[in-house]
Amino acid sequence: MSKKVITRDEWERKLKDVKITKEDMNKLIMNFLVTEGYVDTAEKFRIESGTEPGVDLATITDRMTVKQALQSGNVEDAIEKVNDLNPTILDTNPQLYFHLQQQRLIELIRSGKIEEALEFAQEELAPRGEENQSFLEELEKTVALLVFEDVKNCPYGDLLDVSQRLKTASELNAAILTSQSHEKDPKLPSLLKKLIWTQNQLDEKAAYPKINNLTTAALDDPVV
Amino acid sequence: MPSSAVTNRPEEVTARLGVGGGAAQGEALLKALREVKNQIIGNKTKKLLYLQLGAVPKIVSVLAASVASSLGGAGLEDAPVIVQAAAAIGSFACGVEDGVRAVLDAGAVPHLISILSHHDDKVVDAGARSLKMIFQSKMAPKYDVLQDKNLNFILSLLDSDNENVTELAACIIAHSCETNEEQKALCDAGVLQRLVSLLGGSSNQKDACLECIKAVVKDNSEVSSRFSCIGNGKALKALSDLIQDRYPYTRLLSCKCLIAIGHASPSYVEELQIKTKLVLVLAELLEEPGRVGDEAPFSLKKLIADNEELHKQALSINVIEKLCNFLHMSSIQSRRLQGILLALSELCSKLEKCRCQLLSPQVYSLNLEVRVLDLVIDSLEHDCAEVRAAACICIRNITRSLKNLSAGSLSNEAVVIRLVQLLYDPSSSIQLVALGALCNIIVICASRKSVLIRCGGVSQLVRLSTSMDSTLRLKSLSVLRNFLFLANTTDKECILKELSLHTLVSLLNDAEHSIQEQALALVNNLIDGCSSVEHIFTEKCYSLILDAVTRQLKQASSLGVCIQGMFVLSNIAAWSDFDKDSVTDYLIAYDDNHKPSLAIKFLQSNDKSLRLASLWCLLNLTNPSSAGSSRRVTKLQTAGIIFQLKSMLNDPCSDCKLRLRMVLEQCTEFETSQA
Repeated sequence: MSKKVITRDEWERKLKDVKITKEDMNKLIMNFLVTEGYVDTAEKFRIESGTEPGVDLATITDRMTVKQALQSGNVEDAIEKVNDLNPTILDTNPQLYFHLQQQRLIELIRSGKIEEALEFAQEELAPRGEENQSFLEELEKTVALLVFEDVKNCPYGDLLDVSQRLKTASELNAAILTSQSHEKDPKLPSLLKKLIWTQNQLDEKAAYPKINNLTTAALDDPVV
Repeated sequence: MPSSAVTNRPEEVTARLGVGGGAAQGEALLKALREVKNQIIGNKTKKLLYLQLGAVPKIVSVLAASVASSLGGAGLEDAPVIVQAAAAIGSFACGVEDGVRAVLDAGAVPHLISILSHHDDKVVDAGARSLKMIFQSKMAPKYDVLQDKNLNFILSLLDSDNENVTELAACIIAHSCETNEEQKALCDAGVLQRLVSLLGGSSNQKDACLECIKAVVKDNSEVSSRFSCIGNGKALKALSDLIQDRYPYTRLLSCKCLIAIGHASPSYVEELQIKTKLVLVLAELLEEPGRVGDEAPFSLKKLIADNEELHKQALSINVIEKLCNFLHMSSIQSRRLQGILLALSELCSKLEKCRCQLLSPQVYSLNLEVRVLDLVIDSLEHDCAEVRAAACICIRNITRSLKNLSAGSLSNEAVVIRLVQLLYDPSSSIQLVALGALCNIIVICASRKSVLIRCGGVSQLVRLSTSMDSTLRLKSLSVLRNFLFLANTTDKECILKELSLHTLVSLLNDAEHSIQEQALALVNNLIDGCSSVEHIFTEKCYSLILDAVTRQLKQASSLGVCIQGMFVLSNIAAWSDFDKDSVTDYLIAYDDNHKPSLAIKFLQSNDKSLRLASLWCLLNLTNPSSAGSSRRVTKLQTAGIIFQLKSMLNDPCSDCKLRLRMVLEQCTEFETSQA
């Protein structure tokens, strides 16, 4: 089956025909900044582009202090802050609460406070597993960290990565957004995913200048 | 908590709570409240611990005191205490029954309500959120909306700018509105209009209002009609738009609303167009994760219930395939599985096309060896009772497919075995559905009869036929009757042995007509195909049974009983001369009150089936090939039967007319030969 070939010239001509307004682009960017919580950047962007954030920037600030506390490993602080913001969030999101408690344990292990960690695991994490069986697997993995001398290189060592904090922070951020009736996912990443999907679909039918590097958005010549 | 933070042990924190005495004050009290709150939020174990320590009444007393002092204009320092106390109370009421009880017992609600009008927004938010938690519990008291004072209060809450407050109002209304009277009072007060206008708000507010609207219109035709008239149909349009909202939960809630309105006052949501759209939307929502996907099949079932047109629509957009795909998933939530099975049952309840699609090879899974039917049969053994019940209903509806029953697509030993297992289920409603399914299967699948016997099904059926529950008696008897349909001698003997004469006679004499009728039909199936009584009964059995049959015919408690009884006599009338004579005597006998004989009475019936059954009997009695027929004809003549027959020559039923002519022909032969 021969695929249709589209030259770079043809493609660029087609791209020129697609009209996307600057306002729409700005809205996408603002939506990203607001959802991810980059308050200062959003404020600056608002001034420069005249795009309205659509939410009270003060609420973003609240949300951001929570996110930052968590990203720096101050889980207890993050919990207190989110409870001040809206006490019903953690009460109605058992999985999120479990992940926060899990993060606390991880932080205790990371700072070498093994005895405290053991006590915490017993008093705070074990009940979570009793309350909800679906948490048991993750619980076991986390508690297993206590067994290893060289924690960073053990089978579950990736739990100690900063990426784990970011994952939990993202979960918390989404829950806060939902409680505020905001969409929890920014549109920009979804659009990028759609771009990749669309290109994959088109790959089966045609050879065309493709974007392979999302950071540069450079068009690579069609492979014939 | 780690052992280093000694002062935060629950016992010690609780000791610091309260008003006066040893309790903390000012900043220390605030800290203690905050500590409790942060410990219990999300943590069921801590909540229970603090409950046991008696923390709730203490916190409520702090709240009460702060509210009083705040109303007295004492100071802004009360606000933080109120906020923390309210938040803690709300958290106790979240997800823990004992917590709700403790909060209610401690009298928290009035205080929380009083802070809804506080000047500090944070206080109002705290109060509204906590009250919402409380009113989301089934244990919360109903708010009496029939009292003007209360109704006005709710309306004022609905008018608030604060979304937490309006959501609370919607929640209270949804919780408290049960009777038609309450729904009407709310409708009269303009609540529905206000809720519709709030549908333009944030998504959380939308959801709260949709749930509330549904509660107010549900099962109330007057209120539903009035809703449909709001803004000349603008309210309905608003709901219709929301079925395409960006959030799945909102789409689901608006579907539920429209379905509720449609059921309560059909004329407004009658258009097939809107209903078809709803089918489409719900079919998509089936694939959503979480509670939306769990609840969607239930709503779908409600929407299409008893509506063949909608069944067809669903079929045309591959809903059955979608539902079946879920059955292939290895780990599916019980609730979702129950919903899917119920939706499939509904679709298979009427249309053969639907049943065939479910059973057709195109709905195989990736693992070609597993059929959808087998997956449903597996669910008959599920841990969850509701799933078992749903699977049972599904099987029962599938077995309405005569085509597939005959073709043997349902010939599967496992079905019978599992259904028999369900005959032992503690729930009688599950037993009933299992009986329904067996009833269908056993008629056509003669091969399944041996399985039924082997796995103890017959014994259990007989046991159920003596149950205190008349519906169980009736249904199990129906299965036994169907079992005996065209049964061979071995099977008949097996049933008789298990059933016992005593039980059979008592069933023939059952208080319920429907059961008498089934028992008579069972006897019919027993004697069908026999040429004499010895083939099936001993002399003693036979006379006892015949006594019971004739007694019921005399009592004539229902049309069905009479018809079945006459069929029994017809069958016996095909036997020996002696038998024919006995039947004749029964038919022409009349008691001292000179009521008409059975024969006359039934021949004069308005029901053609009864007339026909009687004519069949007479046909057999006057059969020329039998020696004693001529003397029987004389008896019939004397009893006025022939006269009656002659008066029926214009019977409206052609079948009756035909048999009538045949009887008269046979009788005339004897008359002629006599003369």
